[in-house]
Amino acid sequence: MNKLKIPAVLVLAYLVLPLAVNGNDYVVSLIVAALTIGGIALAWSMLGNLGGMVSFGHAAFFGIGSYASALLTIKAGWPVLVSMLFAGLVAAASSIATMPALRLRGPYFALSILAYAEIFRIIATEWKGLTGGAAGILSIPRLPEIMGIDLGGKIGGYFVVVTLVIAMVGIYAVIRRSPQGLALKAMHDSEDATRVVGVNATMLKALMLVVSAFFAGLMGAFNAHYINFLEPDYAFSGSWTTLAIVAAIFGGYRTLWGPLIGALVVYLVDQLVFKAILPQGHQIILGALLGAMVLFSPTGLTPLIAKLTRLQRKETANAAH
Amino acid sequence: MLHINGLTVTFGGLVAVSDVTFDMREGEVLGLVGPNGAGKTTLFNAICGLARPGSGTVELMGKNLLSMPIHHRARAGIGRAFQVPQPMHELTVRENLTVAQRFGAGKVDKAKIEELLDVLKLGHKADMDAATSLALTEQKALEVGKALATEPKLLMLDEVLAGLETTGKRAFLDTLEEVRKRYRLSVMIVEHDIETITRMCPRVLVLNFGRLIADGSPDQVFNDPEVIRSYTGGEPA
Repeated sequence: MNKLKIPAVLVLAYLVLPLAVNGNDYVVSLIVAALTIGGIALAWSMLGNLGGMVSFGHAAFFGIGSYASALLTIKAGWPVLVSMLFAGLVAAASSIATMPALRLRGPYFALSILAYAEIFRIIATEWKGLTGGAAGILSIPRLPEIMGIDLGGKIGGYFVVVTLVIAMVGIYAVIRRSPQGLALKAMHDSEDATRVVGVNATMLKALMLVVSAFFAGLMGAFNAHYINFLEPDYAFSGSWTTLAIVAAIFGGYRTLWGPLIGALVVYLVDQLVFKAILPQGHQIILGALLGAMVLFSPTGLTPLIAKLTRLQRKETANAAH
Repeated sequence: MLHINGLTVTFGGLVAVSDVTFDMREGEVLGLVGPNGAGKTTLFNAICGLARPGSGTVELMGKNLLSMPIHHRARAGIGRAFQVPQPMHELTVRENLTVAQRFGAGKVDKAKIEELLDVLKLGHKADMDAATSLALTEQKALEVGKALATEPKLLMLDEVLAGLETTGKRAFLDTLEEVRKRYRLSVMIVEHDIETITRMCPRVLVLNFGRLIADGSPDQVFNDPEVIRSYTGGEPA
């Protein structure tokens, strides 16, 4: 069963879904937005699940990635895909500035990261010579055309973002299985118990913050070249963090696929269903849905589905006997 | 092997460990007793790095432990088992031991992990979730196992027998004795049960109000008037 999961996901992502929505640019752009949020949710969950750190400031890394890639392509003339990768590294490097916050725990860490996000937003606004200030950056280069596929188009953008998030899931899976990943997971509940067996908790948490920032920055870079426009209030908007947190918690932030599934479900249901029912203030239904999920399945949607599937199998087996 | 000199730990105005000095030889089994709040766990915490002493020195095999961060102390040879078992959540029993070995001993030796699982009688639950699948005795065994996986020179057991019924306690004591001999360990054990201490430890230290008030054989210390007074509620002399 497990062996079939990866090919099934790839077929679904690269064949079934594009064919199913072909021609409907609106739905494709919604899926791209959902996957972008899913990518940030995944980056956020890495930090939350491995290391037990709740960040309210991932918008900072997303925004830095956006600006870095946009500026590298416009001012330095770098190719878009190379700039995107480098922008991830810039976001990762910027996370070093936030590392003093690792001395804090729980809500104190969360709030200090939020403060860092605000600092980066102010820098982007005020450093007019580099970023264009509040007016932002227009005409950011589109994603290129590769092997006849225009990655700058809706469906091309979809292929790029789906490749990015699948690669992120793969890397996340490798990290989770590594001794460092196991130690980080263990640290979530008892940091002292892991420290006394020789785990350098601070170093591992710092590494996880760097990886998480890299992924958030990469998503920001993709988004900049997908929408071709940036301004500080958009790139550093707190919504990038809150939507990602909602998606991760809804989908199950301690699972591998939960944040992505959460983002797809939450964003698409909100945009396609709730918005039709309640055009103004549709987010209130989303909030109620999240509240219900936390009440009835605090571990999220993915573990709930796994639990229901197990129950179903058990019932089927009992009926067969 | 272990030299502690003038160790003092304070929390605000409270002196939890006061000017404690003692030496421990290699291979020795040392009991640490005292009434509740005497400073036993704080002394353990100071040695393994979870509490920061205000003054004093702690040396293990000539290495100054107080200059090391917690995770380096595990590599230096300190293995600590907690009173309340702290299995690493969402990890299997085998993964718990693997993490401890990888970071504490700096290597991954699968054969050694299997040996530990066998000695600690955890083999049948090796791939089960450590936090939810283990009975209390097994949780205690895993707690000791994590410390052993770091390949310690000094194994520090903080009331690891607490909560076990008589039969379970005896079986666990046999296991502890076996691992001590097999891995040639020095052991420091905090324990309230006098019978256990008498059985396990040729030498016993007694703490009261953070001070070391007695050091000797079980027979000597449990007949010491100051020790008796400390347990019956008298003020320290």
